[in-house]
Amino acid sequence: MFNFKFNSISDAIFMQSSNGQYHGLYVWSVVLIVLLSISITFLVYKVQIKNIGKKIK
Amino acid sequence: MKLLKFELLKLRKKSRGWLGPILVFVLIMTAFPLTVEILNKDIDQSFFSVLWIATLLVMMLATEDIFLEDFNDGTLEQMAIKHNSLSGVITIKIFVYWLLIGLPISLLGALYGFGITTSADLAIQLIPILMITTYIFLNVFSFGNALSLTKGSILGILITMPLVLPLLVVLGKVVIAINLGMNFLGFLFLLLGILSIIIFVLPIIISFVIKAHLE
Amino acid sequence: MIKKFIHQFASPKTYLFQVDRAYPYIFYTSLSIYLVALFWGLFLTSEDFVQGNSYRIIYLHVPASFISQSLYLAMAFASAIFLIWKVKLSAYLVRSIAPIGAITTFIALVSGAIWGIPTWGTWWAWDARIISTLILFIMYLGLISLHDSFTDNEKADKFLAILVIVGSVNIPIIKMSVEWWSTLHQTASITVTEKPAIDPSMLYPLFGSIIGFTGIVFCLVILSSKLQILKREKNKSWVKDYV
Repeated sequence: MFNFKFNSISDAIFMQSSNGQYHGLYVWSVVLIVLLSISITFLVYKVQIKNIGKKIK
Repeated sequence: MKLLKFELLKLRKKSRGWLGPILVFVLIMTAFPLTVEILNKDIDQSFFSVLWIATLLVMMLATEDIFLEDFNDGTLEQMAIKHNSLSGVITIKIFVYWLLIGLPISLLGALYGFGITTSADLAIQLIPILMITTYIFLNVFSFGNALSLTKGSILGILITMPLVLPLLVVLGKVVIAINLGMNFLGFLFLLLGILSIIIFVLPIIISFVIKAHLE
Repeated sequence: MIKKFIHQFASPKTYLFQVDRAYPYIFYTSLSIYLVALFWGLFLTSEDFVQGNSYRIIYLHVPASFISQSLYLAMAFASAIFLIWKVKLSAYLVRSIAPIGAITTFIALVSGAIWGIPTWGTWWAWDARIISTLILFIMYLGLISLHDSFTDNEKADKFLAILVIVGSVNIPIIKMSVEWWSTLHQTASITVTEKPAIDPSMLYPLFGSIIGFTGIVFCLVILSSKLQILKREKNKSWVKDYV
């Protein structure tokens, strides 16, 4: 259950499935989109809170 | 009753308000066959989708200034004070709009249906369906326009268009039922049921919104 | 009783102080849970029999779509509280949840579309769930634009709450109707609902990612509501002390 599914890093990047297709592109682009959009949202809110804090002061 | 006559007169005098939407409907329904080949048999199929979308759009246009002018010249405020139930006034207002816009469009839509499919049965079945549908649309879009009062109708459309999508699904089913000649009455009662809920609930919500505007 | 309770504990001031204290704990625990679950899901689970490795998107897609719907529910709940008991804080919450909901819905839509390419062969299908998610996205945007188009914030709060409640009645109806529509037409032959029986080794990381993502989004809501409170109460004296 806790064994690595992939043997090497390039295996994990390309994610070849048993039917021969490479799915790494899809999986990693989704990972990128999710993490990027969440972190950008965090950043935007932090900056905005900081700005409004300065204004109030 | 007096209020009904008053509202009727007011809308009738404003020909842009009631004749305009009807003419737009006629224009859309005449324009759409121009975009497909005239001998194309599939025109029957696309006719219904154009019909529903055209009714939807025209009802949006019709309700655009249903409350705006009354709001600007203070009539709405007077009505809110004079009559103890604002929702009753709103119900009458929407009914008048339906009488002058929704009803003619239902008849015209049935006429177009007869012209394109040449089936009298279908045209007769379309009339009650369209009558109910236009009434529901008028109610929902009045709600949207009450929310976006003084802010333009684009906003009203944006927030109420998602609310009528289930109705479009029902209408699509109705067309299939009519074409297959089955279970038409069931759908009619379903639409009537939706209408009877909306007719009671939405005017109350709208009056709530308008009172908030008047504050 | 309830009214008194809510008014006592739902002042923006106490809310801010409480939330500030809890924020780091929530953030770091949920972030670590999420990252562990993602690592587990992406590298340790075996590949799906039918979908191959592309099924790993489930660990990103399902939490987002789950959150996007529950956020709307939370908004409806908060609007009801606002309309019944006139609690200001819940009006702020409604406004601050809306953009977060739009973002998570966007993530759910995009990740679902990308997932669709390898598994369905198309990135878009007129499937009940996809359409209702898209409508949810449009509704979130509509809510934001409704609130922003009024300069009078109190009016905007009221309208927003009304629209959220009317919309919350409608969302299950939309879902039902579209399902009804697409079953007869047979347009969408594959539905997301019918997953192959999922193996526990795949299920645990899924739960982990849902819990972790919920926590992260909760932190986003906290930040967003903080911004909203500071914006709206900037003239109060306690805000100056707070900043």
